Amino acid sequence: MTFQPTDPACYNPTPPVVPLRDLLFMETRGLSPKAMSLARSFSLAFVFVLAALVPELFIAKHLFPYPFLYPFLAAVVASAWFGGMAGGLIAVILSIIAVDYFFIPPVNSLTFSAAVVLYLASFVVCALAASWVSSAMRRSDLALKEARDQLEARVVERTAALMKTEAELTRLSRVLSMGELTASIAHEIKQPLTAVVMNGHASIEWLSASPPNLEKVRQSTEKIIQDGTRASTVLSRIRALFKKETSIKDWLDINDVIQELVVLVGTEAQKQHVSLHLELAPDLPKLMGDRVQLQQVVLNLMMNGIDAIAAADKSTKELLVGSWKQGEEEIGVRVEDTGVGLDPENAEKIFDPFFTTKPHGIGMGLSISRTIVESHEGKLWATTRPAGGTIFQFTIPVQSPKLG
Amino acid sequence: MNNPNSVVYIVDDDSSVRDAISNLLESVGLRAQTFGSTEEFLAAPRSEAPSCLVLDVMLPGMRGLEFQEMLKKNGITIPIIFITAHGDIPMTSKAMKAGAIEFLAKPFPKEDLLAAIHRGLQLDETNRAHYSELVSLQSRFEQLSPREKEVMNLVVTGIINKQIAGQLGISEVTVKIHRRQVMEKMNAESLADLVRMSDKLKIQMQK
Repeated sequence: MTFQPTDPACYNPTPPVVPLRDLLFMETRGLSPKAMSLARSFSLAFVFVLAALVPELFIAKHLFPYPFLYPFLAAVVASAWFGGMAGGLIAVILSIIAVDYFFIPPVNSLTFSAAVVLYLASFVVCALAASWVSSAMRRSDLALKEARDQLEARVVERTAALMKTEAELTRLSRVLSMGELTASIAHEIKQPLTAVVMNGHASIEWLSASPPNLEKVRQSTEKIIQDGTRASTVLSRIRALFKKETSIKDWLDINDVIQELVVLVGTEAQKQHVSLHLELAPDLPKLMGDRVQLQQVVLNLMMNGIDAIAAADKSTKELLVGSWKQGEEEIGVRVEDTGVGLDPENAEKIFDPFFTTKPHGIGMGLSISRTIVESHEGKLWATTRPAGGTIFQFTIPVQSPKLG
Repeated sequence: MNNPNSVVYIVDDDSSVRDAISNLLESVGLRAQTFGSTEEFLAAPRSEAPSCLVLDVMLPGMRGLEFQEMLKKNGITIPIIFITAHGDIPMTSKAMKAGAIEFLAKPFPKEDLLAAIHRGLQLDETNRAHYSELVSLQSRFEQLSPREKEVMNLVVTGIINKQIAGQLGISEVTVKIHRRQVMEKMNAESLADLVRMSDKLKIQMQK
């Protein structure tokens, strides 16, 4: 029986000149994807069979004079793995041609006897089975990989969307608590504005005196500048809290964060007849954090305290904000109020989203505050104040400047 | 125009606001004194000249409205002009009912403030005049003997000497002597004058 291959390249043991480059060339000419993949399978099979043939030729000549088919089986498995079932089939055909041509007597011819057919047929069966298993495994492997990649991409996508929602929620809650402060903000702007108007009128009066009192005019004008600057400082602080900004971490002094809020919240406290005390530890190490977000946490806690005090309506109405440090590693802030106090059952629930005890609250403040503190690798918790009221505390680790 | 000695007290916890108001008043020729709190104001000696008080409502410690009440209870009648950067309507009407001259929302026009201050100073001047008259009246009344006070209280009701003598169980001649003493000591020119004085004293005593 004579095997008659249709393609002369099939039985050519010497490889064509750089077949891969040819393939690339064909690709530029725009072959259909099916033909492309077939050509790829073919060249892969060719390379693998050749890789099996060369050592086999050496082994048969120098070490073991009988045809040894295992390298070709390996070539078939490899071809099926990388080139699919088609690659496996091509590798089987190429292997048989190579074995018949080089190893089955008469050597260097494509003729073979009937006796060899059984020998070759068993090889073909094994090779086909191996090639089927190999290509199937490869297919499922690829499918699995693709599914995993898709899943990963979706997780990334959803995480990004979630983070965006969270940031938006954080900002919204900030805007809401700022909304509660509107009256106090207005107060803080009206004060310097009043001074500006009064000093402006005074300047005109001093100018129209005879002789004009220029020294007084100069003093009044300087005051106008001071108060104008004061009003704009208040505005820019508030604007920072309203801004739609992504989290920016920077080195900051937590005492500054607290003190910037005191101007605004202090007015609100005064309005509710609450006296505000500060106990800020001096020389606190700076910490790496988002100023606006930490301000939001302190603002939330202070406003909650004022609300709790207003709800309790006791004779002592005090809100205390303190800071401390634990060694050089951790900074803590506590907000103490003399308000209604904490139901021990609710000590943890208050941090749940949408949990609120206030008639007009939406229950996001503490939940968001805890998220913010946790994003700074810190802890936020509440305890009952022994003399009545609640203590809210959070701690934030100070990261080493080298890490930051 | 106002008394050149008159003084305006400004109580506001915000130093830039109280200094600015003081600067404006000074520029229009008014004397001003500033205080950071009601406590500070109470501790300082006050002028005998006509004065009025420009008071921020939202003070730490004693609030403006509470302070107004406390002054009223203690019989201190300084006219008050409230200023506020919060200003809500209930607060305004409460202050006005309690006798405030004006309630101004910051930032207020200069004219409103100055007009209120002028009204306040005028009112205080009038109040002071009434008050000093009352003080001298009271000191004159205190110089009367108990019997003379009794006679005076009956004379002003319009009854005749005979009836007074009957009520007090003394002779008509003695009543006449007491009556002359009362007219002299009280510095009254006529019976009608004495009645007016008595009315003023009674009003004061009821207070």
